[in-house]
Amino acid sequence: MIDPNEPQEIKISIRNLYKIFGANPKMALEHVRAGMGKTELLAEHDHVLGLNDINIDMPTGRTTVIMGLSGSGKSTLIRHLNRLIEPTSGQVLVDGDDILGYNQRELRQLRKHRMSMVFQKFALMPHRTVLQNAGLAPAVEGQRESAYADEARKWLDRVGLEGQGALYPHQLSGGMQQRVGIARALTSNSDVMLMDEAFSALDPLIRTDMQNLLIELQGELQKTIVFITHDLDEALKLADHLVILKDGFTVQQGEPQHILLNPADPYIEDFVSDINRARVLRTRSVMKRGGDPSVEVAGEVDHDDNLESVIEMSGGDTTKLYRVTKNGEHIGLLQMRDLVRALVPQGGSDDPEAARRAG
Amino acid sequence: MATYDFIFDSLNLRDWCDSHGGEGGPMTMAQLLGQSSGEETTVSAWDTPFPSLDALHDACAAVPRSRDLTTGLEEGFMTIKDSLKVVVDPLTQPLSWALNDALWLMQAVPWWIMIPLLMLISWLVGRSFKIVGLLALTFGFLAFVDYYDYTMQTLAIIFVCAFICVLFGVPIGIAMSRSDRFQRFMIPVLDMLQTLPPFVYLIPLIFLFSVTEPKLYGIAIILYAMVPVVRLTDLGIRLVDKDVIEAADAFGMTNRQKLFGVQIPLALPNIMAGVNQTIMMSLAMVVIASLVSAPGLGVLVLRGIRSLELGVGLLSGLGIVLLAIVLDRVTKAALARINASQPR
Ligand SMILES: Nc1ncnc2c1ncn2[C@@H]1O[C@H](COP(=O)(O)OP(=O)(O)OP(=O)(O)O)[C@@H](O)[C@H]1O
Ligand SMILES: [Mg+2]
Repeated sequence: MIDPNEPQEIKISIRNLYKIFGANPKMALEHVRAGMGKTELLAEHDHVLGLNDINIDMPTGRTTVIMGLSGSGKSTLIRHLNRLIEPTSGQVLVDGDDILGYNQRELRQLRKHRMSMVFQKFALMPHRTVLQNAGLAPAVEGQRESAYADEARKWLDRVGLEGQGALYPHQLSGGMQQRVGIARALTSNSDVMLMDEAFSALDPLIRTDMQNLLIELQGELQKTIVFITHDLDEALKLADHLVILKDGFTVQQGEPQHILLNPADPYIEDFVSDINRARVLRTRSVMKRGGDPSVEVAGEVDHDDNLESVIEMSGGDTTKLYRVTKNGEHIGLLQMRDLVRALVPQGGSDDPEAARRAG
Repeated sequence: MATYDFIFDSLNLRDWCDSHGGEGGPMTMAQLLGQSSGEETTVSAWDTPFPSLDALHDACAAVPRSRDLTTGLEEGFMTIKDSLKVVVDPLTQPLSWALNDALWLMQAVPWWIMIPLLMLISWLVGRSFKIVGLLALTFGFLAFVDYYDYTMQTLAIIFVCAFICVLFGVPIGIAMSRSDRFQRFMIPVLDMLQTLPPFVYLIPLIFLFSVTEPKLYGIAIILYAMVPVVRLTDLGIRLVDKDVIEAADAFGMTNRQKLFGVQIPLALPNIMAGVNQTIMMSLAMVVIASLVSAPGLGVLVLRGIRSLELGVGLLSGLGIVLLAIVLDRVTKAALARINASQPR
């Protein structure tokens, strides 16, 4: 997890992006710009509003998670980043370059060297071995298997598939196939990894394993990851930057802790009402910044500790005060009473069912 | 008086009818019958004829008779025949050469090389001793009853025609899979080729080429047998998993790399099923094509029919069935091996 106050470099910027599916998207775009919503557009003009004025900055070396319910436009959005889908209007800047101006050759270069993708249904080549699948990017480049084998094997080993290079994808379980998918993305050595519901097809235990693997890899490699999910727990576990989509527009985006504490919309309150806040929230999100470093405290906690561990430390005593440190230095004070208050969703109803009905 | 006079009278077309209607052409059968019976028959409502060309012609001579239509078609074909021939003849000449050479080669190679060679090929393709044994038995039997030469002729024609079908059919199928418009254009053409009775396209071909030329039956067989390999290539490529194609795109493959590296390999089971069908249909057609001088087992079947030699007909029929089984098993074994190498 990162400190939201640090300045961040931006890898990918999306500017005023619109996508409309249908026979005459330009015409429909006028209506959307004039404020027409997804349902009306479908009913009156028979066009599907995929994305509606999306603006996102994705920080370099961080994980941006895009979350939303089914049909909210997540897959459509991620496919604009490598132009598997062409937008109706807008800009996609990668390292400051507008990729929509790229010709076919430049676009292939982008896909080969600067972006890789991991798919929900794995999308491995069934007629190629695991090793050949992992080495897809260099193979597309024209390299022979003997040339890329070492690199591909290195990443297969890294994702936990030692010695399985000669098998075919159908001989592996789903979890292992997705490991091949990740190895394939890593072998391409690109800075950006696009992951469209990469773990949604896996069962819960394997899914947790894969999330941990991704966090571990991310700690080593600091790729710019764009991760799509419809599961808030997964989003909160992985996200440095969280974007919530609904019906093709961004409802809220920002630091996940911030969204959790300040949901902007009943839709998001509904989303966040069911999660275990004590496990997800960090001390830095509920502490008071600054404060007197010399004041008497019951103990010290790290800024990245979750509230669960603090509650355990305090033994349930709500009168205690803790010092919050970052790299051993004082950055703020945490009042147990604030902590307890943060455990209850604010602004919304106490009854999650009521919020759901409202949303 | 004819039944439909009233139409032309009420439309004031009587003059036009009389002025244009030269009493051209011989009389129709109906007119002859009407004359011989000698009396002006009054037609009851029950017997009202359909307003066909002939019935309308009775009422108005300016309307052509149906026989004029067929003669018109024939004359039309005859007038374009020569110019058509100038184009088609040289284009199809290699087919004649290929057929002649294949026929010569298959018969020139002695049986004690040919049969082991075929066994070897079937082993390479199918890797099954059962099928090699079946092939040896079949050819042994056909040679034993002195049908060896006929069998080789049939086989030579099938090899050449099926090869050409694949050579042209696969690219056509690929083109269909890549363009919806081309597919929409081709599907009715393929439907027509498949449903027209084979005899129907033999007729114009006879006018176009001389009956002694092998390409006459070569073209008929190829047109008929090419359909499945085209269809199944198109289908096979269209059925390739969209997600896999998307992955290929996402990793920057060119269209060429996608076609040869992903689509064709993954469509191969379907393409091979098409090749199997094509070979079987070539065999069916080569029998019919013996009507237009295609050599082989079909000639024997024809002899059985023409001169009522029941034994010859039955034995050669059996030979064709055996040949069909062998060809089918060998290609199916190849298909099974492809399927086994890329299960999904
Ligand atoms: N090719 C297309 N033609 C028409 N409409 C489309 C097309 N692709 C997507 N849509 C529509 O765009 C909207 C967003 O779809 P998208 O696949 O991006 O949703 P998603 O958030 O990825 O959902 P899921 O969680 O189910 O994958 C949906 O309403 C969908 O029906
Ligand atoms: Mg999706």
